[in-house]
Formats: sequence, C-alpha cells, structure tokens
Amino acid sequence: MKSHSVLRLWPAVFLLAAAVSIDAALTAGGVAYTKRYKTALLAEPTPQAKATGELAFAQKVKVEQIQGNWLRVSAGSTSGWVFLGSLSETKPDEGKGLDGAPLLASSTTATAAARPLTPAADEYSQRRNLGSASDDLNWLLNQCSAITAKQVETYMKTNKKGEYQ
Amino acid sequence: MNCRTLLISALVLATASFGYGFDLGGLGKSLGSSDDKLTRGLDTAKDLGKVVKGIAGIGPEEEKAIGDSVALEIVGKYGGLVRDVAIMQRVNLVGRSLASFSDRPDLSWRFAVLDSNTVNAFSAPAGYVFITRGLYELAADDDALAGILGHEIAHITGKHALNIVAKGDALAGATSQLVKRSGNLRALDSQLQQFDIGVGQITKTLFETGFAPQTEYSADKIGHALARVTGYAPGGLRGVLGVLQRRGSNPSLKVFSTHPPLGDRIGRLPDEPATLSAQVAGKAVSSAGQKTSSLPAGKVDADDEAFAKGAK
Repeated sequence: MKSHSVLRLWPAVFLLAAAVSIDAALTAGGVAYTKRYKTALLAEPTPQAKATGELAFAQKVKVEQIQGNWLRVSAGSTSGWVFLGSLSETKPDEGKGLDGAPLLASSTTATAAARPLTPAADEYSQRRNLGSASDDLNWLLNQCSAITAKQVETYMKTNKKGEYQ
Repeated sequence: MNCRTLLISALVLATASFGYGFDLGGLGKSLGSSDDKLTRGLDTAKDLGKVVKGIAGIGPEEEKAIGDSVALEIVGKYGGLVRDVAIMQRVNLVGRSLASFSDRPDLSWRFAVLDSNTVNAFSAPAGYVFITRGLYELAADDDALAGILGHEIAHITGKHALNIVAKGDALAGATSQLVKRSGNLRALDSQLQQFDIGVGQITKTLFETGFAPQTEYSADKIGHALARVTGYAPGGLRGVLGVLQRRGSNPSLKVFSTHPPLGDRIGRLPDEPATLSAQVAGKAVSSAGQKTSSLPAGKVDADDEAFAKGAK
C-alpha cells in the first residue's frame, strides 16, 4: 500500500534532516533554538563579556549577525551574543529535565552526574549476574560526579575549546 | 480518521479492558476500590499504548533504565573498566567538552575506557560512551580522541539505540511498569522478560550486527561537526581511521567489527587536518605565543592530580 511505502521512508528522512541540519550554516536573518536549560546572552562576542540577558530552554531566536563562531541573536526585546555551539537549527524536543522532573531540578551537570544506577538496572544486573560490571559502573558514576562543571570549564579555557577558542 | 489512528484507538480500548481485569499477583486485592483498579487499568493501557507511539513513548526515566542496563552489558562483555583515574578524567574532560555543544548538553554524560585490546567504541542511551583500551591507545592526542567520542555522542543524541527498541514489543511500557510499581517487581515477570528482551535487542546491534551503514555515516558526520565546533581539529576521526587502515587488518584483533569498512568511512569524511598544529600550519597563520595544550594520553599533570585528590 502506498501509505506504508511512505511511512518506511520517514526514518531515512529524519536521519538525513539531522545530518544536514548540523552542518548547514546558520545564516543572518534565520532562526535558531537554544539547547541548554539556560543560555546567557553576552554584550560582546567573547565569554568574558557582561551578560545582557538569559534565554530559556528551546527558545527561538532570530540570528541578527554572525562573527566567526559567535552569533548576535534576538528574542523579543532582548538581544546579545551567543557561541555557535550553544544553538541548534532545530528545536529540541525535550520539555522536561532528564530525570523526568521539570528542568529547574536538573539544571546542574554535577547534580545530574551524581545519580546512582536506576533500581531497574540494579535488578537487571542481579538477573544477569553482572555484579562486577555493576561495581565498575558505580565506580564510574562516583568518579564522574567528582568532575565538576567548573573543572570542565577550566579545561576548556586552558585548552581553548568552545567559547574560549 | 486514518488506519493508524483506528489501530491506536482499538489497541488502547483493548488494553484498557485487559488492564482493568488483570490481577498482578494479588495487587488487585490490595487496591480495594474499583476506582483504583480503573486507574491501574488505564495506566496499563497508556503504557501499552506507547508501543504504537514508538520512540516518543520512551521518556527520561525509561531511557535511564535502558541505558544503565545496556552499559552493564557493555562493561561485562569487554573486560570491565580501566580504573585509572587520570585516563578516566582525560576522556571525561574531552567528552564533556564535546557533549556540552551537542544537541543534548544536559544529559548525564559519562565516558570510560574498557579493559579490552579490541579496537572499538560503544554508546548506551542516557549518556554512556565507552572506548576500548585498544582504541584509546591509538588516539595519539585529544583531537583523535574527540573524533572518536564525537561519533559516539552522535549515536546518543540521535537516539539510535532507542530507535531499535521503539520498534519492539512493549519495552517502553514494560520499563514504565518497572518505574511505577517498583514495589511489585516480582509480580511483573512477563514485563521483566520484555525489558530484558529489549536490552538484548540493543546489545545484539552493538555487539553483532552494528547499526545500519547510513546510521554510522550520519554519526561520523555529526561527530565531525561537533568536534569542529568545540575547537578540536576536524580531521581527528579521519586521522584515526587512516591509522587503522594503514596498519592493515589483523584477524586476531577486531577493529571496528560492527562498523562499515574503514575505507568507506574515510572516503565520506572531508580530508582535513587531523591535529590543530597541522591546521594552523596549513592556514599559515602567525600565532606567536598562542599554544593549544592537550592532555597527553595516560599522563597526569598538576590539574589532574588536583582532580584526582577531589579538589573542587
């Protein structure tokens, strides 16, 4: 049936769209969306600039100007500079925080990284005799929770990554 | 009303009836009122209804349960983790830098090295990325490591593993049952079996069949873009693949056995500098005094020592 043939094409369409959207350049006059819980708008295209405002998650912005890896965007009466990597051409589809709670509760990377294995996974490891793997993963979760967002930012500053290029 | 909508409606009505009459090993008796039974029945119907919603029905909690379980299988199959704090910190600093500019920057991203001399990398839903020791030792610098990790991050942001189980039977619904009724897990044998089957579908893809070639090429492309925007040399992944190709195939050493042929992947990636120094030289930019540092593989610097000691 024709409808089934069309439905089979959708996964390929989505994959192609995803691939194209990442590499396609954001253009002045176009639109973009924020990807993070909070995205700061800056007065100048540098991470040391003063903040002029803040954008919410999945907020639509208009691209006013592009300068290297920085975009000057506007949302209503608010405008400012945002690093290219902090924006997406497609609107994110997650309305809740990654722990199922409202985004406010999942705002910090350190908090998110500190969560233990889910009870379902604990039970799964028992059914599958994966006790050693469970020990390893719990070690990993503890180690990862010790690496703070601040340390990641320090690494990026030191090595000129992200906004610090 | 089209055929798909009619099917969904019929399924929800059928499962609502099923749920209303289904006694979960005495749970029905403990519920008491008919209103409770109706609520449980409707919950069951909603969960089972997620089957036809596909991936949209797998929420954050479900993704975590699936991701944790898949991660357990990966670690169990590939020799456990390399418990070297310096190596763990390096891969997490590079990985989280990349992930912060991915399409899912607020996931709980975790990166680790598997204690296996095979050459491969894996990802699990909810933010787990693993690279084997064999591949880690071939990543001569952060640019190469970033190329590898960027590819795996793309699998997670694209929800490629979740797509597998979204087409399967009642996995999302089964996982939700586990989340909602954790106090009655023993009464949910059939749902537990469904959950295990779903995890098995993902690991079969990861360990045996691999993702479809187009999915892998898409991950290469997205990972390449992610490494570039983060500030790593754009040819990092291509450089590592080239090293593997030049080494030739060794039947005793599995190299990216679940991925498309190296030559195909290399041919689809642009020929760009594999390191930042090569990139700068190629542009002939005068940058006296500007040096991009990179954590050397396996070595610890003062910052790493501070991190290792838990300094904040």
